[in-house]
Amino acid sequence: MSAAHGGRQGEPNDGARRLFELPPELAIDTEIARRVIVDFIRNQLRQAGFARGVLGLSGGIDSALVAFLTAEAIGPENLLCVLMPYRTSSPESVEHARLVVEKLGCESDLVDISPMVDGYFGRDGQPGAAGAADGEGSPLRRGNLMARERMCVLYDRSVGWGGLVVGTGNKTESLIGYTTLFGDSACAFNPIGDLYKSQVRQVAAAVDVPEAIIRKAPSADLWPGQTDEAEAGFSYPKLDRLLFWMIDKRRTDEELLAMGFSGPTVERVKRLVATSEFKRQVPPVAKLGPRTTGVDYLYPRRRPGSARK
Amino acid sequence: MQPLRIALVQLAPRLGVLEENLARHRELLAQARAAGAGLVVFPELGLTGYQLQDLAAEVAMRKDDPRLLGLAAETQGLSAVVSFVEEADDHRLFISAALFEDGEVRFVHRKLFLPTYGLFDERRFFAAGDRLRTVDSRLGVKLGIAICEDFWHLGVAETLALDGAQMLINVSSSPGRDLAAIHEVGLGTAVSWRTLMRTYAQLTTSFVVFCNRVGMDETISFWGGSEVIGPSGEALFTAPLFDEGLYTVDVELGDVRRERIGLPLLRDERPELHLRELRRILAHRTGLEIDEASEPSDGGRETGQSAAGSREAKAAGGPDRRP
Repeated sequence: MSAAHGGRQGEPNDGARRLFELPPELAIDTEIARRVIVDFIRNQLRQAGFARGVLGLSGGIDSALVAFLTAEAIGPENLLCVLMPYRTSSPESVEHARLVVEKLGCESDLVDISPMVDGYFGRDGQPGAAGAADGEGSPLRRGNLMARERMCVLYDRSVGWGGLVVGTGNKTESLIGYTTLFGDSACAFNPIGDLYKSQVRQVAAAVDVPEAIIRKAPSADLWPGQTDEAEAGFSYPKLDRLLFWMIDKRRTDEELLAMGFSGPTVERVKRLVATSEFKRQVPPVAKLGPRTTGVDYLYPRRRPGSARK
Repeated sequence: MQPLRIALVQLAPRLGVLEENLARHRELLAQARAAGAGLVVFPELGLTGYQLQDLAAEVAMRKDDPRLLGLAAETQGLSAVVSFVEEADDHRLFISAALFEDGEVRFVHRKLFLPTYGLFDERRFFAAGDRLRTVDSRLGVKLGIAICEDFWHLGVAETLALDGAQMLINVSSSPGRDLAAIHEVGLGTAVSWRTLMRTYAQLTTSFVVFCNRVGMDETISFWGGSEVIGPSGEALFTAPLFDEGLYTVDVELGDVRRERIGLPLLRDERPELHLRELRRILAHRTGLEIDEASEPSDGGRETGQSAAGSREAKAAGGPDRRP
């Protein structure tokens, strides 16, 4: 019947299953996901009057997948991947990012953000712009600054490159607020923001992202040895399943407990989601005039006249 | 009887760019004509795009707008269904689908059901139509025209069939969602639509013609998958998901007669039974029952006309028997 999508092409093959754990309810049709995302990237750029994109390539799976899909959408020659290690970043991160660049044949650029971060927090006992009062900052503050310096670099590079910043955040981290506001979450548009981490892995396997990247433990790489799962205290498959049933399928607490999720886990994840609501929305504006942006002035982002000339 | 060639125009309109969409409709109409089509169906809001929000008022046209009449003028010897934002004399905005035939606007259907839930927000920007009529067409059959969500309400297909429609035409801007791998076609929305269209065709023993747009507005992608279902419920044609294109399919209009002779479901319909029960249900839902002890149901609306309403409800012979 349906010419293009009659089969079950979306099912992960055995190879993909060996690379990672995929809860069955999260399995998606990867061919359709790929099609929709690639069209989305193309449309977002075209409607804004751009032909090129730029993204921060960390060496992790999220940005690797977005790089693959963006290259497919607009051609590798129109994609600039910026590698932005800090001096304590794992060398493996840069190696894996280079692997993606080589495989895609896209443009790339390396910007060491160490002087930017150290210039603010100081280094080796020398105070930076932040002053000497509180030393070199907590891991949280340092991590946030690194994410925001990377954002600054991407937005600066986007001007020279003449392309939009493509977002690389997934649905899991967005829902639990494991992002830095105006840092890694800053972008012109986000192609994978509605894919859970498990689904990112599934699509990554389908588009041939290198196995080493799919297999390694996800990490924000803000300090040595950091991994997402150790920091959050959940495994991604478990967290993804919980979020899926809680949010997409609207299950109540009682129903979630009956499904086998533990009470403290449900409580904790609900709190993470609620306390990070602000990160997923544009800042509110006090309603004063007759028509207020976001309230009763509601236009599509992309409309006649909105594209760059 | 000569087969009828139907052209399904699975296009991706540009959001809010009316002139460009008009030009594209003209081109595609000419292409469909060249391909020998007798009926050309364009998707919901093909002239304007879907996710308009406050742009709706800026792209609205009255049904006698010269731009619309200009497009209609290009349907000599053709039937075409074209959808646009219609501005009424009182400045209400409707999502409308017009039937153009032989150069004229023959009929306009205004979308009856405006989804305002989930990702939809139609009722904020549009008024709901309140007429459901079939239209005689130059094709020799009566057409029943509906727009997207109209088909998610059972009464629409049934009413159109009882009013004589032999071909139900649904024009849509259906957003694709739910990619769960358990679905037969990999897209939950497509599975739901396919199920209901086959069911409608079978139960009304009519052709069902579905034209769904493709492309993207903002974050939403439209999945296409336009179809023609025969009066036996069998799919005669299924367009690919997401691909823009003009697809033609030939149908034997005589299939309606054959199906209805063999399976006289419409002959056996009992609209009078429906009407009687509907009057009772309506009285209950709107709080117009004679029984003062009973409260309107949760879905009931407050009204200020209980006396007149009660007489009407009693005349309908329903409410007294309700437990």
